[in-house]
Amino acid sequence: MKYECLVCGWIYDPAVGDPDGDIAPGTAWADIPDDWVCPECGAGKDMFEAVSE
Amino acid sequence: MSRVLIVGNGVAGVTAARFLADGKPSHEIVIYGQEPYAYYPRPRLIDYIEGTLPEHKMTLYSDDWYAQRGIRCELGRRVERIDAAGHTIHLTDGGSDRYDRLVLATGADSWVPPIPGRELGCVHTLRTWDDARAIADCARGCRQVVVIGGGLLGLDTAAALACCGPRVAVVEALPWLLPRQLDREGASLLSGLLAAKGIETIVDQQCDRLEGDMAIERVVLKSGQVLPAQMVVVSTGVRSNTQLACDAGLLVERGVVVDSAMCSSDPDIYAVGDVAQFDGRVWAIIPVAIAQARVAAAQINGDRDTRYEPQVPSTTLKVSGIDLTSLGEVHPEGEELTLRKVDPDQGVYKKLVIDGGRIVGAIVLGDRKMAREVSQLIAAGVDVSAHSEHLLDEGYAFKSLLG
Repeated sequence: MKYECLVCGWIYDPAVGDPDGDIAPGTAWADIPDDWVCPECGAGKDMFEAVSE
Repeated sequence: MSRVLIVGNGVAGVTAARFLADGKPSHEIVIYGQEPYAYYPRPRLIDYIEGTLPEHKMTLYSDDWYAQRGIRCELGRRVERIDAAGHTIHLTDGGSDRYDRLVLATGADSWVPPIPGRELGCVHTLRTWDDARAIADCARGCRQVVVIGGGLLGLDTAAALACCGPRVAVVEALPWLLPRQLDREGASLLSGLLAAKGIETIVDQQCDRLEGDMAIERVVLKSGQVLPAQMVVVSTGVRSNTQLACDAGLLVERGVVVDSAMCSSDPDIYAVGDVAQFDGRVWAIIPVAIAQARVAAAQINGDRDTRYEPQVPSTTLKVSGIDLTSLGEVHPEGEELTLRKVDPDQGVYKKLVIDGGRIVGAIVLGDRKMAREVSQLIAAGVDVSAHSEHLLDEGYAFKSLLG
């Protein structure tokens, strides 16, 4: 399930992960550490919402 | 039912609206936005200039977003003054509106130093979508562009423009790029990386004047160096939009002074985001706008315990392929210990500033995991003195120090 940043629209795709942020491809949203932030705008995990596709 | 007006439709304004809409009992919420557009994230303006973001993908929230949450959105309407005693705002179009609580989220505007020639055509600043459109249109006909200001926005703008074709030069008045975030060595490494992308950087140079007939033709530096340019983007900082607050008699310094509840000197007026000053500082970055907006919303929703606690300030430059993060206090002024590892060939730059045994600041190139873990250590104030010899070892497990 993909997650979208409510502030800037950046999409977290578990298949892609966020390798620069040390989140490997295949990492489920729930397994991302709480201190991780949106790579585009710095918003925290709590500003993301699941995207229905 | 209480009536909450929000002045400003940027990150701080829409975030406040979002969390206010969750409040029980519910409020009447109205956002007044000066720009005629629904909320759009400013980071997208860079992609727009680069040509990778089409028009229809700029706004993030449709008109429905506001309606679904019972938020009335008044776009393209500018507030002229606040009558604080009368709990009323007056708009430039002659309208007025009453409030029980007011949230000022008017942001900050580009500031331009008094450089002679700044009124010439094709001299731009970048803050709004309209600015980005003007810059993108102008860039099409340019062979050379000069960006004045080597900060985060100036460098992001320069990189976006370099993708479009023109040769780009960045002029920075202070001795090195990103002066707030980097030190001399880190900035020097960054200059090298930018040069490899075709962006020339000129530091420790002030602009003397801009010259041209009707439109800009050249930038003249105080040293006498002349840079031909068909477009100039001035990116020398922002100033909080405090006029409404000043005129209403609120306490204003660099920004609207607020307490940890985000409340101004008027008990019914809050200020959040780029317009707000907390503990003497205006950060003007997105994570701060979000956090402050959430506090104001919580307070207005009746939660007196939720207070603003400054986070470790963190900024990341994402100029294509260059991932540079600056955390906390990176300019030691006293007896702090500085640890540094620099390897220009490998593109490695890591710096930790340690004060009284605790990490207070860091600069990290290309390692966001380290940046994240160090950020936690800074926030927790962990004493790292027993480990300082190893902190910059390859792959050091900072997490292990968190206990």
